[in-house]
Amino acid sequence: MNLERLPNEEKLTLCRKYYFGNVYNVCVWGFAFLPFLWLVNVVWFFKEAFVKPTYTEQLQIKTYVKCSGLGFLLWVAVLTTWITIFQHFRAEWGEVGDYLSFTIPLGIP
Amino acid sequence: TCVQCLGDGNTSLQKLATSIVFFFCLSDVSCNSVEQKIYVELNNTVPCVRLLNATHQIGCQSSISGDTGVIHVLESEEDLEWPLSKGPNPPYMVLLESSLFTRSIMMKMKNESNRVAGVAVVVPNTSPPEFSPHTTCPNENTGVYSDNYGPNLAHCNTTVWNPRGNGLSYEEFDFPVFSLKEDNETEFIKQCYLDHNRAVNGSAPQYPLCAMQLFSHMHAVTNTPTCMRRNDINFSINPEMVCDPLGDYNVWGSIRPYNDTVFGHKENESVVIAAARLDSRAFFWEVSTGAEGSVSGFVTLLAAAQALREVTHEAPPTRNILFAFFQGETFDYIGSSRMVYDMENGKFVIDLDNIHSVLEIGQVALHSGNNLFLHSDPVSRRNNTVNDVVKNLVNNLQSSTAGLGFLLVEPNVSQPLPPSSLQRFLRAQPIPGIVLADHESAFNNRYYESFYDNAANLNLTYPSDLSPEEQLEFVTHTAESLTDVATVVARALYKQAGGDESRVNTIKADPKIVTQMLYGFLVSSNNSWFQAVMAPELKNILKPSPPEYYVGVAMSSTPTRLVQYLLANLTGAATNLTQSQCQKPDELPNESRQMYSYLWVQGIVPPNSTERDSFCVRASVRLTKAVSPAFELGEYASKDYSTWTESRWKFIKARIFLVASRDLEMLTLGVGVAVLFTSLLVTYFISTKADVLFSSTREPASAAY
Repeated sequence: MNLERLPNEEKLTLCRKYYFGNVYNVCVWGFAFLPFLWLVNVVWFFKEAFVKPTYTEQLQIKTYVKCSGLGFLLWVAVLTTWITIFQHFRAEWGEVGDYLSFTIPLGIP
Repeated sequence: TCVQCLGDGNTSLQKLATSIVFFFCLSDVSCNSVEQKIYVELNNTVPCVRLLNATHQIGCQSSISGDTGVIHVLESEEDLEWPLSKGPNPPYMVLLESSLFTRSIMMKMKNESNRVAGVAVVVPNTSPPEFSPHTTCPNENTGVYSDNYGPNLAHCNTTVWNPRGNGLSYEEFDFPVFSLKEDNETEFIKQCYLDHNRAVNGSAPQYPLCAMQLFSHMHAVTNTPTCMRRNDINFSINPEMVCDPLGDYNVWGSIRPYNDTVFGHKENESVVIAAARLDSRAFFWEVSTGAEGSVSGFVTLLAAAQALREVTHEAPPTRNILFAFFQGETFDYIGSSRMVYDMENGKFVIDLDNIHSVLEIGQVALHSGNNLFLHSDPVSRRNNTVNDVVKNLVNNLQSSTAGLGFLLVEPNVSQPLPPSSLQRFLRAQPIPGIVLADHESAFNNRYYESFYDNAANLNLTYPSDLSPEEQLEFVTHTAESLTDVATVVARALYKQAGGDESRVNTIKADPKIVTQMLYGFLVSSNNSWFQAVMAPELKNILKPSPPEYYVGVAMSSTPTRLVQYLLANLTGAATNLTQSQCQKPDELPNESRQMYSYLWVQGIVPPNSTERDSFCVRASVRLTKAVSPAFELGEYASKDYSTWTESRWKFIKARIFLVASRDLEMLTLGVGVAVLFTSLLVTYFISTKADVLFSSTREPASAAY
């Protein structure tokens, strides 16, 4: 979808939708904490928010992009920490590790 | 998180690719697939697999995509320096002759396992002087002797039963170990090594080098509780079984039949149990011959059962005699512990209080010096009642050898029982029992639980000019001596069961039956006699080679079936029932499936005919499940019962090929990547300057989208 063609109010609505996570009206209450939607938000609307010359809705778009960016970074930190810990200690955790695993590699502890 | 999905993806892609190539090769195009030009598959290999118990894992493991190593044929123990430290092209795949397959060499390689990719052992046709990969004290933790029962006898403190044991079967190796036969394939491998891998005058051998790749990736890890837990996890996307408990069926039969639906204690029923074990093992998977270790014992017992058939019909003894053949005894007494557990919990036709005494036949074929030994448990004999019954049994045995040329002697010193099923009975209750064996202290068997414990170990030789059918009938020396032992056992059992004394001397085992059994169990199971006694649907388990005695996980082991049908044929009665009546005997007035089992057997081929004379055998022979009670109770970390499981695997194969140096591989990759980037650059430049390069007619720029 080419953002060039959209009027500014629709850009704002789109950005808000991606921020709140109800893109396809799946989640009515929004704020679905979806890190990849937030990444899409940041990448897609970055030019709109920071590079283009100012227009009325740009401030709100900027806020959404900033919040999405922060949320995404937070998610990355949390996930990286958890994944590192889990991969390192799963073998030692024995039973707990097995019950937390979705697939267990064969032939190695 | 998913780690191994990539590996699976690769193999399925490879399979797709090879299947496409194969499809093209099938259509009438003579094509040499590149794979065939590179790899030579090795077909006659046997791997070593991983087994697990409550606390450990033993056996061998390869990585999921196989272990590749440069082949090195080991010449001596000092030559180990080359693969372990000096050789410039690690990792190495070490090829060992059987004389070098020793504990010290294997442990050295185990310690330097980052330079050893795997081991291949060449198994010759002639046996070395001695070799036993089992432990020195078999089943030491699941027998009867422990810190509470005869502590000075436990852990082989008084007698070491298997002094030649090097314990290799119970070590854990993280590289694959395969065995090769001494045939053309092995010659080819050695030739490949001589052509490419030899160091010339101390300089390093040049690439390309001859390499071998072994695949034997095992799925289970750590120990039995872990692998059973992973079997049960339902949460994952593709639940996979990673291990299976070892087990099969025990075979039992009795002189007077028991109702198979009435379990538990039977009033006024006193039973003499005659026991033997059925199984054996070796270092490599499934190739176990167990000639002295198990075949000698159960063949003797089968012959004794046959010898008792007539006299127990005419003059039945007061007590019943129950013949029990236990499976899985090698792995911490799976079969006997299960039977004792069933007896204790009222799931068997009799219970422990019904047992009068036990006579077990251990290893009996290698008696040097014409004496056989009667082992008993000194701790239970401290009780006078037990001691009296044991002494009575010893007397019955010793008096049965009249006129047979050998003596039965009790060992001089007070020593524990050898590893035997009787130990599991004693663990439950002090039961009088004797183990008959050809060794006074340490085993006479130089190849206990190894792949060399075969017909040659028993000196089973036939004159060279006989056809297979003639060999089947030929009465060998070994068969004669085992026949005598069977006669003694039969007579002693009859006396022990309170039979008529005057008839004892008429009991004689038949040497022809013994020699046919020895032929069938140690040389070739696909012979006319075994074909005649087996059921038609089971005739495919008979092969031109001896059966494998490893207990396995599939619950369909060949020796169990053979012993079941042989016991039925030798102790049961042929009936006139037709095949359909044989399957539903309850419709007939005098037949009852609860008391007997009815087996439809093929029968012999009469002369001048091609159809077999099949008939229905009625015998009091049953199978009972021989899976360790630990798996019934879910106590996978049990210290009392066997917890052995065998890992699962996807495929096992071996192949050899020439391998190039790492530098050449990196160079090829580098060139390829460079070509890729060059072509990208060229394409980019051409596309940006397209209007300059290809300027012919000017077209208006079409609207971009």
